[in-house]
Amino acid sequence: MQQRTVIIINRLGLHARAAAKLVKLASTYKSRVVLTRSDAPQKTADSKSIFSVLLLAAALNTSIEITAEGPDEEQAIEALCRLIADKFGEE
Amino acid sequence: MRASIRKFPEERLEGIGVCPGVAIGKAFLVDDPRGRVVRVFLPKEQLESEILRFRDAARAAQVQVKKDIERVRVALGSDHAYILEAHLLMLEDRTLGRQIENFIRVNHANAEWAVRDVTQHLLEVYGQIEDDYLRERGSDIEDVAHRITKILSGKEQRSLNEMADNSIIVADDLLPSVTADLDPRKILGFVTGIGGWTSHTAIIARSVNIPAVVGVRDITERVRSGETLIIDGTAGAVILNPSPETLIFYTEERQRQRQQQLYDIEERELPAITRDNCEIRLRANIELIEEIDTYQRFNAAGVGLYRSEFLYSQAETGLPTEDEQHDAYRFLAGMVGDEGAVIRTFDLGGDKLHLEGFKPERNPAIGMRAIRLSLGVESVFRTQVKAILRAASQGDLKILLPFVTNVDEVRQAKRIIADVERELSVEQVPHKENIEIGVMIEVPAAVMMAEALAREADFFSLGTNDLIQSLLAVDRGNENVSALFDPMHPAVLRAIKMVAEAADKMQIPVNVCGEMASNPAQVILLLGLGLRDLSMTPSAIPAIRRLVRSISLSDAEELAAQAISLDTPAEVRHYVQTHLSDLGSELLATAHFG
Repeated sequence: MQQRTVIIINRLGLHARAAAKLVKLASTYKSRVVLTRSDAPQKTADSKSIFSVLLLAAALNTSIEITAEGPDEEQAIEALCRLIADKFGEE
Repeated sequence: MRASIRKFPEERLEGIGVCPGVAIGKAFLVDDPRGRVVRVFLPKEQLESEILRFRDAARAAQVQVKKDIERVRVALGSDHAYILEAHLLMLEDRTLGRQIENFIRVNHANAEWAVRDVTQHLLEVYGQIEDDYLRERGSDIEDVAHRITKILSGKEQRSLNEMADNSIIVADDLLPSVTADLDPRKILGFVTGIGGWTSHTAIIARSVNIPAVVGVRDITERVRSGETLIIDGTAGAVILNPSPETLIFYTEERQRQRQQQLYDIEERELPAITRDNCEIRLRANIELIEEIDTYQRFNAAGVGLYRSEFLYSQAETGLPTEDEQHDAYRFLAGMVGDEGAVIRTFDLGGDKLHLEGFKPERNPAIGMRAIRLSLGVESVFRTQVKAILRAASQGDLKILLPFVTNVDEVRQAKRIIADVERELSVEQVPHKENIEIGVMIEVPAAVMMAEALAREADFFSLGTNDLIQSLLAVDRGNENVSALFDPMHPAVLRAIKMVAEAADKMQIPVNVCGEMASNPAQVILLLGLGLRDLSMTPSAIPAIRRLVRSISLSDAEELAAQAISLDTPAEVRHYVQTHLSDLGSELLATAHFG
């Protein structure tokens, strides 16, 4: 199991377009990847479900814990962190 | 004390009865005016196929979105396609699919209902998001739901007639097009929360002859699908949780009405002749071309009033074009044949024409409307006249000018009509020469000037509804004074007599097209005052025909002569009521006095 904490740094947060990119990327990996809000541990999202990700309502500066478990967990977590650090390629 | 069996007490809700008759049956709730997303309780055997129906629709929606994505990517670049990618992911999302399928199973719901309910719930959750930008993205969910629903209601749409077979439709509102498709052999009746006597839905209800009550506020909140209710389209009432006694009463009433309808059919060919051999012409008031069915069903002697402004309100974009109007008028001419039809030119207010700089009026009922607007915005009037004259070359059509207060208005209108006629001749377009032009008598000024108007007009049409309102200075829609709206007021009877005498003196025909013409007691007075030509809502014709056949004109004349000499509405009412039995008609025992 791999775990890492990242901050959402793009201005608009995890809105539909950003969420779509995240879900598409996560879906390319076999591992199960769960997102959890650091400030509200009960709020978790399946990274492969767009509704789930959208309902995290992660705005700018929200801290997210990414947990990945599976055969390609390392690559998965690395890719997602890069996408988020990259501001979803938006700005 | 015996315990009550019923859980809820009987409740009677008042609305506006727009099509007479009784319906008793189970409610079927429609929560969309387009009749699309309706809640259906499906039997267990159908649930799996309903889930497949949903999956097919979701798959079709995915295909649609993929095509859209390609298009946008080519046109605008991949960054713009991402919002559609989000829609696609939503459609592919198992969370949504599972929830919807679950909803279908648990609630025995049809797919449309499930999609709406589940996405509605998601939207609510979304609405609680604190970040404004993120919250507004809820519209994406709505968009996706809309896409699936649209596919579901596409070619595979269950028709309302099949879904609601043998029940009473309950809705906030129904689109006229949905109402027009209702099959009277399958749908017992309908109730809506909004609407009025002249709303399109009401008019269509009359044409398909389904008992209907409109304007019953909050009806959709008070009734659930499957509950038994009664609608009384004659009285304009809806009865919820009817008691056994009420059910028996209305079952008998329904039986009686069915019997009556059989009589009506048997009698439809009988001439409307009084016992002393005077023929009375019974014509139909029509708002929509679709209503022409009822015209035939009740064997009307022509159309006495076609309210052309309904063409306007049907047109989706602005005023109907000359050709659109021509088609409607020609159809009308063809249907009525030799009996003819009277087309009243647009009785619209200026607000409807979206005129530049037109300020809202404080009192549009006495503002820039009808003939005033026609003369003010001549181009609209000319277009209509052109369409009528062209159509009149193929059938007997006449023109009726509404809301005339001044002889000069008639002269001006006639000049324009003559001018349009010349234009058509020059262009060699087939049209009618010397079309008959009538004047609507519906304001006191027109009554006072009846003789002068009769010199200009080919015929009169007496609009009693508006005339009573302006003569008695009463707004019928105002509950505080609506009881003062009284057709039996001696002033009303005197005004009618003046008009009848002026028309007689100048040898022009006069027709009555207000509601008085459909009320049996008032019809006797009208006949007694010298009127021989009545135009009414078609469904009233059978009762009035029976009335005419049951009385003699000399009795009616005597009654009217006495009534008109009385001082107050109450005296008139009392006099008519006590002397009706002298006329020897058992029918009149049940006549309304309203």
